[in-house]
Amino acid sequence: MSVILEAKDLTVRFPMPRQSLFAERQHLEAVRSISFQLEKGRTLGIVGESGSGKTTAAMASIRLTGPATGAVEFEGEDLFTLDDEAMRKRRADIQLIFQDPYSSLNPRDRVSHIVQEPLDLLEIGDEASRKARVEELFKLVGLRPDQLNLFPHQFSGGQRQRISIARALATNPKLIVCDEPVSALDVAIQAQILNLLAKLQEELGLSYLFISHDLGVIRQVCDDIAVMYLGRIVEQASRDELFTNPRHPYTQALLAAAPSLARRKSSGAKRPQQLKGDPPSPIKPPPGCAFAERCPLAEAVCKQTPPPLENGVACHVANR
Amino acid sequence: MALLEINDLKVEFGTRYGPVTALDGVSLEVDAGETLGVVGESGCGKSITALSVMGLIPSPPGKIAGGSIKLGGEELIGLPDKRLRQLRGSDMAMIFQEPMTSLNPVFTAGDQIAEAIMLHQDVGKAEAFNRAVELLDRVGIPEARRRASDYPHQLSGGMRQRVMIAMAVSCQPKVLIADEPTTALDVTVQAQIFDLLNDIQRDFGTAIIMITHDMGAIAEMADRVAVMYAGKVIEQGVADDILDNPKHPYAQGLIACIPALGKGDAGRPPPLAEIPGVVPPLHLLGEGCAFADRCAHKYDACAKAPVLGGDAAHPVACHASAEARI
Repeated sequence: MSVILEAKDLTVRFPMPRQSLFAERQHLEAVRSISFQLEKGRTLGIVGESGSGKTTAAMASIRLTGPATGAVEFEGEDLFTLDDEAMRKRRADIQLIFQDPYSSLNPRDRVSHIVQEPLDLLEIGDEASRKARVEELFKLVGLRPDQLNLFPHQFSGGQRQRISIARALATNPKLIVCDEPVSALDVAIQAQILNLLAKLQEELGLSYLFISHDLGVIRQVCDDIAVMYLGRIVEQASRDELFTNPRHPYTQALLAAAPSLARRKSSGAKRPQQLKGDPPSPIKPPPGCAFAERCPLAEAVCKQTPPPLENGVACHVANR
Repeated sequence: MALLEINDLKVEFGTRYGPVTALDGVSLEVDAGETLGVVGESGCGKSITALSVMGLIPSPPGKIAGGSIKLGGEELIGLPDKRLRQLRGSDMAMIFQEPMTSLNPVFTAGDQIAEAIMLHQDVGKAEAFNRAVELLDRVGIPEARRRASDYPHQLSGGMRQRVMIAMAVSCQPKVLIADEPTTALDVTVQAQIFDLLNDIQRDFGTAIIMITHDMGAIAEMADRVAVMYAGKVIEQGVADDILDNPKHPYAQGLIACIPALGKGDAGRPPPLAEIPGVVPPLHLLGEGCAFADRCAHKYDACAKAPVLGGDAAHPVACHASAEARI
């Protein structure tokens, strides 16, 4: 298996506005020195709650967000050292699907043009071959050719997400970053889109970097999973390992909190474990483990020393 | 007689396609201390049902074209605004989906809750504010007295939803309507909100109507369930019956399409069961079953709309199910 995308020590720091003219500028570390590998033809899931840095991490790893340090290698080539024009050309291989199918399509543009635009921008083929490619893509994602000249508002949420997928596929990419592609959709439509993504991966040999907060969705589509909390990866494992034997207390809490058909009100079933409170502020993260405040297993050492990621889990207690 | 009874409710909206029936003969009831789950896709009418009960259907373009809604025996439809305002908050209250936009950004959390208390009870401002602090403490906001002076933008999403809940239960309503109360929240916070709602129900005997599109939320919260599709209730029953033995193909699909959370056994899970297609636009609904075009069991009888019937404890609106063809 060859690695298609590898992030090494990736860190993203956003400068915050100064409190006053003479105050020291504060920084928000949205992503704090994370490393991961995505193998060709597979799906790496990044899961975490809002504010955990999962979107920032994914965007930084394809050079779409501000001041990132560390290194990102795409097919062995360091993306951070490419010049702008080389990076622009490289984007043909890396595409994106966004969360909100309502705001990620230009409302004043016909959908055929929306799907064709990446081909125009990267100057791939001539006008006729681009048109043919758009029709082919429409068929691939399950839309009809008679819908080519409609506007986005004439489609439902699920159909719009199909248009986003067609647009992402236009340049024949190798890697697609899916940023919560189904969280704005109803469950019935969510199933259609997840099945479509799985089918396309198999047919086209795509690799996905898949961001979601929903563990059920993650289990359905991902081969490897990284769990993030306050800018750090706290657990990294294959799907089988993570769901059979979650080791970090935060992963366990996430699994316990997810709604389940098996936990019935009628049987008085209670959640095995309940997290209290909210994650701490990323502007002044606690010195030790960021999860210590909410962790049922926290000990004195957890509040002082940040746990390193060892054997796939960043936890003093689990690694003992 | 149940605490809240909705009978044959019909709601129409004027659109550029002419009047469209958003609710078509919806009958539901919920009793004190009980949670009714209302489940369905966007556009099925579940929120319109909630807004009808609260008397909040925007009119025009909406209008209640028929049926009745009785709260404790009192007919709500056609009630003068003044009486409705008395009932809202004190007898029935609603928690909205988006806590960000349903709180007033220029008043503190404590003041907004105190306002609701002062409207319905004969207490002064200081007393009302103290009660607001107690309520914030009750819904699990740490340092409630300090947080009561915070403005909504200073609170996290979970805390804002707690403020909404505190406001909704401030006058101990008999009926609490929760319209997708956790859709905008993270799972760990969602779990906290579910537990909180269940606690409130246990302590005050509140009747809860829980509106959601998530069958997992239904399993955890609901005693009884109504499944809605295109403005109609298509299946109704005890939560366990609906979840274990759904009769309508749509209800079966809604349950089967949820990605399961079980153990990670070797290999990738098989594709999810899909409900093909999308909900038809309401102005294009024909005479027949609204679900027929997406249904695998469609046959000639489906050209006529099925009525909710069969087993009185677990009625379903489906020809194929009634004739045991599924």
